[in-house]
Amino acid sequence: MASNTMHSRLTSVALAFAAVIWVSPFSWLILTAFDDRAKNLLRLPEQFGVANFAEALSGMAGQQLLNSVFIAAATATLTTLVGAAAAYPLSRIRVPGRNAFLWTLVLLRLLPAAGVIVPIYFTARWLGGLNNFGVVIALTILNLPFTLLLLKNLFDTVPIELEEAAYVEGATLWQIVTQIVVPLSRAGLAVVWFFSFTGAWNEFLLPLIFSRTEAGFPMSVGLYAAFGIQGAIDYGFLAAFSIVYAAPAIGVYFLLRRNLNTGFAGVGVKG
Amino acid sequence: MKASAPPWLASGRGLTIVAMLPALILILALIYFTVWVIAFSFTNLELVGPRSINWEWIGLDNYARLFTRKGFLDSLWTSILFTFFSAIVGQSVLGFLFAVAMRNNYSGLKTAFEVAIMLGWLLPDVVAAFLWSSTLSDNGLVNTLVVKPLGLSPVNFINQFALPVVIIANIWKGVAWSYLLFSAALDSIPRETIEAAKVDGASALQRTYLVILPMLRHHIATNLLFITIWTFTYFPLIYAMTGGGPGRQTEVLPVFMYNQSFGIGKLGYGAAISVAMLLVVGFLSIFYLRMMKEPK
Repeated sequence: MASNTMHSRLTSVALAFAAVIWVSPFSWLILTAFDDRAKNLLRLPEQFGVANFAEALSGMAGQQLLNSVFIAAATATLTTLVGAAAAYPLSRIRVPGRNAFLWTLVLLRLLPAAGVIVPIYFTARWLGGLNNFGVVIALTILNLPFTLLLLKNLFDTVPIELEEAAYVEGATLWQIVTQIVVPLSRAGLAVVWFFSFTGAWNEFLLPLIFSRTEAGFPMSVGLYAAFGIQGAIDYGFLAAFSIVYAAPAIGVYFLLRRNLNTGFAGVGVKG
Repeated sequence: MKASAPPWLASGRGLTIVAMLPALILILALIYFTVWVIAFSFTNLELVGPRSINWEWIGLDNYARLFTRKGFLDSLWTSILFTFFSAIVGQSVLGFLFAVAMRNNYSGLKTAFEVAIMLGWLLPDVVAAFLWSSTLSDNGLVNTLVVKPLGLSPVNFINQFALPVVIIANIWKGVAWSYLLFSAALDSIPRETIEAAKVDGASALQRTYLVILPMLRHHIATNLLFITIWTFTYFPLIYAMTGGGPGRQTEVLPVFMYNQSFGIGKLGYGAAISVAMLLVVGFLSIFYLRMMKEPK
């Protein structure tokens, strides 16, 4: 038994060490963001302050934050709405071959996003959509196959008997959907919304090609453009900007941690 | 078999059709994009200049170019190295080991560890690229805390070890997914099964190889299917960290495709690269799906 305790202690030490290694790159980011005279150095802040954060939330940086919020919120909402509106009938109407159809769509999405970017670019240019609104539509298109499959499986779990009972009582389709189906699947809809939101928040390639002006960049492209510039890089500002950019995705995850962990596993294990 | 709808959908047919219409249009657009890529891989379309309007069908020339010019095969090899070491060796094996080590551990250490690896997973790609560029720079964390105290001169890691650096950054970023999946899978193995093996005298190693691994066959295949495809088509981290450089050391296929399409402007050739990537991904999917189905 003694060797067992010893063994588990060693494991604990190794895991604690791994955890420290995993978070260590963040030390530089945090130290630099709170240093008003930051350089590209690992050191304790020379002059502690939050001036970098003030800069990262105002002016051009503030505009880019708003662009990211618009792209992510609009994509998530549009994806969930369009997906749910089509997935509910798909779940309830028995059409031969509907599962084969959904899996074909998912297979279509195996084509790397980088691969379909060229026709998307041409279509957007033709329609005058080389802007953040175009990014939202393009991301919704790319999200849709997985969303349809997930939401159809979600609606399959809502018991149809409730809807039958409501129909017998004289409820219309609209009443059935808004008062029975949506409330019962709220948690699943929230997970889909969250994944679409973080996916769009993170998106880099589409806005890199679509956004023409610095004022139109979301934060991903803004950050890339800023640290790609040779010469005088304002590291304090970039570190604060990175933290502002990373915070929403991390914050929402930890708020919803319990629900999402089971969601992740569910998606993965179901395959 | 005929289509059959419950009466509330049949009576609200107008609303049903209107509700399905947007999704239908967007799906048609996706199909159009895919067909477009395949069709234009047989043309010499370019981003700018005369060939952006007066393109021609050139048969299989683009595909022949994939194998006769050096670029594609080099990038394919880089992609294979990147995917094998960061997804299979790194994320999958490491994620599995972490999950095994954390099994039956419900202390604060487990929470702290999960938070630590999730931070990497949740971090936006471009921030992760910036973070690693700085951590590995001349005055960054690794040089300040490890290399210099050893009395060595600082190493410019990204210039000297570009491919290992992006592989490590991707392991750091992605291991949480495999860990979560394997944790959930290990929890699904009944305790009695492992206890029984213990009573029969199986060592910890034997328990892992002969009991746990075969039971997790399905989960392992699922995990590999997802992470190899994601990693093989992963673009932003590498592009933002190195842009494919120095030279072409980290030019994996998505970066190669992007550079050929939007850097040099050869859209037809870029489309052929996309189709080639699709074939690789399709082949991988079939391989893993068979691995999932066949009994041991």
